[in-house]
Amino acid sequence: MTPPASHLPVLEAIGLSRHYAVPAGPFRPKVALRALDGVSFSLPAARTLAVVGESGCGKSTLARQVTFIESPTSGSIRLDGRPVALHDRLALRAARSQVQIVFQDPYGSLNPRKAVRHILEEPLIINTRMTAAERRERVDWMMAKVGLRPDYAARYPHMFSGGQRQRIAIARALMLNPKVVVADEPVSALDVSVRAQVLNLLMDLGEEFGVAYLFISHDLSVVRHIADDVMVMYLGRAMEIGSRDTLLDTPLHPYTRALITATPQIEANRRKVRELLKGELPSPLNPPSGCVFHTRCPHAVTRCKAEVPQLRAVAGREVACHLAETLVAQPGTPA
Amino acid sequence: MTALLDIQNLRVEFGAADQPFRAVDGVSFTVRPGEVLGIVGESGSGKSVTSLALMGLIAYPGRVSAERLMFDGQDLLALPPKRRRTITGGDIAMIFQEPMTSLNPAFTVGWQIMEALKIHGGGSTRSRRDRAAELLSQVGIPDPRRRLDTYPHQMSGGMSQRVMIAMAIACNPKLLIADEPTTALDVTIQAQVMDLLLHLQQERGMSLILITHDLAVAAEAAHRVLVMYAGQVVETAPADMLFDDPRHPYTEALLAALPERARGQRRLNALAGVVPGQHDRPRGCLLGPRCPYAQERCRREQPMLHGDTQRQVRCFFPLAASRTSIPQSA
Repeated sequence: MTPPASHLPVLEAIGLSRHYAVPAGPFRPKVALRALDGVSFSLPAARTLAVVGESGCGKSTLARQVTFIESPTSGSIRLDGRPVALHDRLALRAARSQVQIVFQDPYGSLNPRKAVRHILEEPLIINTRMTAAERRERVDWMMAKVGLRPDYAARYPHMFSGGQRQRIAIARALMLNPKVVVADEPVSALDVSVRAQVLNLLMDLGEEFGVAYLFISHDLSVVRHIADDVMVMYLGRAMEIGSRDTLLDTPLHPYTRALITATPQIEANRRKVRELLKGELPSPLNPPSGCVFHTRCPHAVTRCKAEVPQLRAVAGREVACHLAETLVAQPGTPA
Repeated sequence: MTALLDIQNLRVEFGAADQPFRAVDGVSFTVRPGEVLGIVGESGSGKSVTSLALMGLIAYPGRVSAERLMFDGQDLLALPPKRRRTITGGDIAMIFQEPMTSLNPAFTVGWQIMEALKIHGGGSTRSRRDRAAELLSQVGIPDPRRRLDTYPHQMSGGMSQRVMIAMAIACNPKLLIADEPTTALDVTIQAQVMDLLLHLQQERGMSLILITHDLAVAAEAAHRVLVMYAGQVVETAPADMLFDDPRHPYTEALLAALPERARGQRRLNALAGVVPGQHDRPRGCLLGPRCPYAQERCRREQPMLHGDTQRQVRCFFPLAASRTSIPQSA
């Protein structure tokens, strides 16, 4: 139904890396922490790409690069097919209004000293020439859209519950009609019943406003519900990228498999034999040689220690694993 | 089999005596030896306060009362505080949600484990150190002797939670209370820690109270599950019965709100509204204003928990088995 033009990528990242210089100890030169190491993806208009991974995998760093909060160490970002000049302040300012963000913690991401009206109006004051009356109208309209009563606009964030605050944060993100909203764990601080309300709201608004979501989450059941495509990250790199059903039903990368089988299930018939990982995430300051996952991988062979696997197409998705072909042959672990 | 823990009508109140806020409102349950009891509910449902009351950790402005609080044949309410403290930490141990903040940052983990052993067991410093190292290896920490001398900040969240578990099982407790033990951990580490907890529970025949907001964690680990809402138990049943065939509208709504129960469906079935607070507690059934099945009687009077020994429900109009057992498409 949708014309093919709407599936052109609105946001593309090409070889995005972000390294932080961290002190290695007193009197020692700083060392580079590779929080994000050569990640590429392409997000089509009005679609949802979920970024999945555990703490320290670089998913929040990725969010900070594509929202232009930080500048990547290397790599480029394309918005609507045009590269963004990452060192041009005016270009960045225009780009920022197109990519908005909803943060995880609804208690920490709203200014406690500003009334909701001010929080929602601020993007309009900075980025548009709307009159006060127009802004007021837009705020009232947007509050109704996210399911809050417009007469609450004079209230302060502390007067709202966690779910309501997340609605305010979503309204703020949508004030400028962005093309992309980056949602960084938007529902992980919420209770089950409120989480369902907020997820429904995100999906409804996504459809109505035609925004694309970069949806960052660690919860695979939420990702399965909301995402069209999924990218699995580990230690700053993409391990596997593909459509939701391909990735979650027939995962190839051993890390994707471990994530899926580790997720608890209510239905006994959906439970799988756990592929328990040994050990914990290695230090990103001193990442393992070769494949970064080899220290915890149950299938690792000598080649994995020496050679970094590149993303390549195998069985309908892209996967960074030397053994992908052999793992296809093995009966997978359907999710 | 006699119950290890028997709680009747537990109440915890905060605030002024004439207008108290009842965080826990008449909770009763029993735990048999070797049983895993899951307590599930959303924030503010009183699940953590219940466990704190059990441990005697509710501080002054809070008031705890109960008809019966029996543990292993002893009446915890009648015991002098000093005797009671030898039980908590010894026979009843607890691990908390935030492993990073539950450990004292100023002392090595070895010192902290040995402190528990000193208070409840005694023995020479040398033997306590040996025992501490043995405990660390039991919870799967590599190189335990060296780990004894590390400080909490040198360890990851998963490692800290393992140390907390080591400390909790140090005195061979009969009952372990785990309050959201894996909430702060990543999913692969959560799988490791739950695996360890259940392994220890089986090996030692301990009873385990697992408090969690994650229904799937409870479904996988617990034998019996207690669902709490606004300080009350709304339903209790063996885990498979509860999740396959919920009878309380709240249990049904919680399950329906999960994305995994909405496959192929675009919208999730969200329960409208929020948990009532201190001032907007309804007169009748506490779920009443949010319940899709509420009737006149639900607004007038409070339902009591009723049912057989297997399953109890706090509802005037419990869901019929026929309506809720949706045939599962293969």
